Amino acid sequence: MDPDTPVLDIAAARPQVSADEARAREVDLRLMAGELALVDARHSAGPTWVADLCCGLLPLAAGSASFLGRDWSTVPQHYADALRGRIGRIFFAGSWVGFMDVATNILLPQLHHTRDDPSNLRERAIALSCAFGLPGLPLVRPGELAAGDLARAACVRAFLGEPMLVLLESPVQGRFNTLLPPLLNALAAARDRGAAAVWFTFSDLVWRDPSVPATMRLRLSERGLVPTTRAA
Amino acid sequence: MIDRLSIAPRPDSVRSLLEWVRWALAQLGHPVHPHINFVLKLAAVGFGVAREAVRPATWRRTVRGEFHRALRQAVGGGLSATLVTAALIGLVMVSQALYWLGEAGQEELIGPVLVTVLVREVAPLLVGLILLGRSGVVVVSEIGELQIGGQVSALAAQGLDPFLLLVLPRACALAIACFTLGVMFVVAALLSGFVARSLLEAARISIWSFLDRVLLAMRAGDFVVFPAKMIVIGLLVALTASLTGLTATAQDEAAHLLPRAFVRGVVGILLASIALSLAV
Repeated sequence: MDPDTPVLDIAAARPQVSADEARAREVDLRLMAGELALVDARHSAGPTWVADLCCGLLPLAAGSASFLGRDWSTVPQHYADALRGRIGRIFFAGSWVGFMDVATNILLPQLHHTRDDPSNLRERAIALSCAFGLPGLPLVRPGELAAGDLARAACVRAFLGEPMLVLLESPVQGRFNTLLPPLLNALAAARDRGAAAVWFTFSDLVWRDPSVPATMRLRLSERGLVPTTRAA
Repeated sequence: MIDRLSIAPRPDSVRSLLEWVRWALAQLGHPVHPHINFVLKLAAVGFGVAREAVRPATWRRTVRGEFHRALRQAVGGGLSATLVTAALIGLVMVSQALYWLGEAGQEELIGPVLVTVLVREVAPLLVGLILLGRSGVVVVSEIGELQIGGQVSALAAQGLDPFLLLVLPRACALAIACFTLGVMFVVAALLSGFVARSLLEAARISIWSFLDRVLLAMRAGDFVVFPAKMIVIGLLVALTASLTGLTATAQDEAAHLLPRAFVRGVVGILLASIALSLAV
């Protein structure tokens, strides 16, 4: 990829239809390789619509949204799906497929989008699981796993497969001391590879933590994404 | 056009007549529109399955994995119910046909009667209902839960097309499962009926002669209509269940979804069975 091409480029984008709050809002977000945008979502109903916008899932009434130089509105469906395979995401609502075990849930996007050997994928997933504090790849159903372990498994799913864009919807969720250090390590490794990241947080601790290496800070408000500072 | 008419000045009687017509049309359309909408969606999804199923690129390992899981569930889950039902039908229908046609001296009609009634009509209908109860309900429950919980959107956000991952493998698996269970049903019903008749009285014909008569009674059309019915019914069960699940809203509960899917499935099975019987 051309180093001058932004990983994510959203310019004056207004979603056509979505949640009520999204209608009047406009999003401008340009992320180059290695950048991390920390978004304060404490005063919003939820960041999911912005993350969906980044993934090209919302039709736009105005503006544009592109990922790795490809405009979401012009790429064919199968191509858009392949592009989404390069995005790692932690979902605000968990979003686990209940009739599959957690291991399959974690491996599913990589098994779908790549032809990597399943045993290699499994080994990489186990290594990531251990890095995030899990004893291994969880083989139980999502409903049988503790909330903390499920949050760790969500991190494993998001970072598996070396994504070019990482979208983190409130990944820490109250597990500040245990989850933040491995998450920052994984983020640093991803950014060193050239990935960009957007971190939506509801936590004042995360927002004010100096160890979070944000290259830009934004606030999700009534007007959309607004640049701000840590003290704001 | 209607809006323009409604704001144009006109005598009260004309206005009230127009309003009544609009009201009557709305009353008529309100319950009909969702059903037509569902049928059109069903046709579209059916066309999508037929188009995508023949493309090798569709069958990625995740899709193949879901196909194997759905096929195992459909055949494994429905096998015992199919065999028990087939044994009962054999006792009731095949055994009685053998007895009464033998009593009437019309043994040469055994084959045509069993092919027309058992193979062409009863087997597809009963196997379709078993498949709907054992597997269609599972499909609507799984997909409905994912839709209501927002996991379908999450799959799309990961680049996993819900149609390819959830609908297509289940449709193909249930079509194959329906045909497989249908063949097992017919064989089990014929054998159990013959065995029951033989136990009750000395058989007038051998098992080979009995099976030979049934096979000889099969016309070319029967070799078309039986597989066609089984495959179409399996597809319809899967598609109605999948669509019911995918169109579920946050207000829907399992108590609403399952009966809705069951009724749609039964109507689909009956219509497909009648249409193919008349066509071939």
